[in-house]
Amino acid sequence: MYYVAKVNSEMCSTHKCNMCTLYCPEANTLMYDKEPKHGNSNGTSWVDEDRCKGCAICVYVCSDLLERNCIEMVMVTTEEA
Amino acid sequence: MSLRYMIPVSKFKKYLPKDYVELVDYGPFGKDYSDVGVKNMGTYKELVEEHPMCSGCWMAYYIKIIFASLPNPEDTVTIGTAGCGRLAISQAAVPFIYGNYGDQNAMASGITRAFRLRFPDRHKDVITIAGDGGMMDIGFSMTMHAWFRRERFTTIMLDNEVYGNTGGQESGMSMEGAILKMSPTGKKFGKMPAMQLAITAGCVYVVKMSPTNINKASKAIRRAIFAARTLGPTFIHAYTSCNIEYSIPTNDVFRDAKEMEKGRFAFEEYMTPEAKELFAQIESKNKREVS
Repeated sequence: MYYVAKVNSEMCSTHKCNMCTLYCPEANTLMYDKEPKHGNSNGTSWVDEDRCKGCAICVYVCSDLLERNCIEMVMVTTEEA
Repeated sequence: MSLRYMIPVSKFKKYLPKDYVELVDYGPFGKDYSDVGVKNMGTYKELVEEHPMCSGCWMAYYIKIIFASLPNPEDTVTIGTAGCGRLAISQAAVPFIYGNYGDQNAMASGITRAFRLRFPDRHKDVITIAGDGGMMDIGFSMTMHAWFRRERFTTIMLDNEVYGNTGGQESGMSMEGAILKMSPTGKKFGKMPAMQLAITAGCVYVVKMSPTNINKASKAIRRAIFAARTLGPTFIHAYTSCNIEYSIPTNDVFRDAKEMEKGRFAFEEYMTPEAKELFAQIESKNKREVS
């Protein structure tokens, strides 16, 4: 069971923004896909859950600083659990 | 400037290490800095790989910025020493040398001199990256003497104001009165004036900062590397909090760094007139080189 960040790509793609990816302390973890998503002209951030250490700095950037609320912390479990 | 390293021959590509091939296909190797660099972090495979540093570690974040800012990673060598930082610095696609307990600046002195003899026609960037203990306590004499000798390499101090890797002993860079696990009565003397020491010892470019503005942090790193190539020693004193020993909740680490920027880690930049002239030349030639 891991505590990881999860991006709401539908909300994220409504903003021209990749601020969270610039402040994630882990390399190659919070990535940005430039391809337009969900009918919007912007791409979206996404999380490599295997690498995320669950610090929630991205949530601070997205929710507290930018007030966009596109990222939440979730528990990831295996299918059996 | 090109980040061209080595492009695998297509027939041999499948035999090469996957990490290396990925750095060519999706990473910075062979690409222009303007396509990678700090501004594009998250859109390419970075030089730093997975490492065991703590969740929310601001030191890990600053190390990530250092590697994304390198003007010439294919011709760069990093040297570190005991401490948290080396856990991530050693996990990057840039040659890393482990200096024994604080002798990173002495080793860097020899390596830069050897590089200048062996490769007189090209710049080989040498960067020492160590914590406050490695740089200002255990490695103090070797750091200072490298500066006095005007050795041409960049020194970056990751200042977390504590010995985070060994359980929370006070360091010379801890604040007066700081109560830590291994200094329960509080530190009895103040923080060492690292920036002033560097200026006095002859560094040509010195910066003190809390890395909260990614472009400003990257610009300082690149300036320090450019100035060290020809002018003399350069020094960056960066605040990289230890959220474990100072009990900072991980989601408040960035907020703490911003608070520090308003206080004792307010941005300060010192440069000699020669360094100022050099930066003006580089920055007028190609703005992308430094930002």
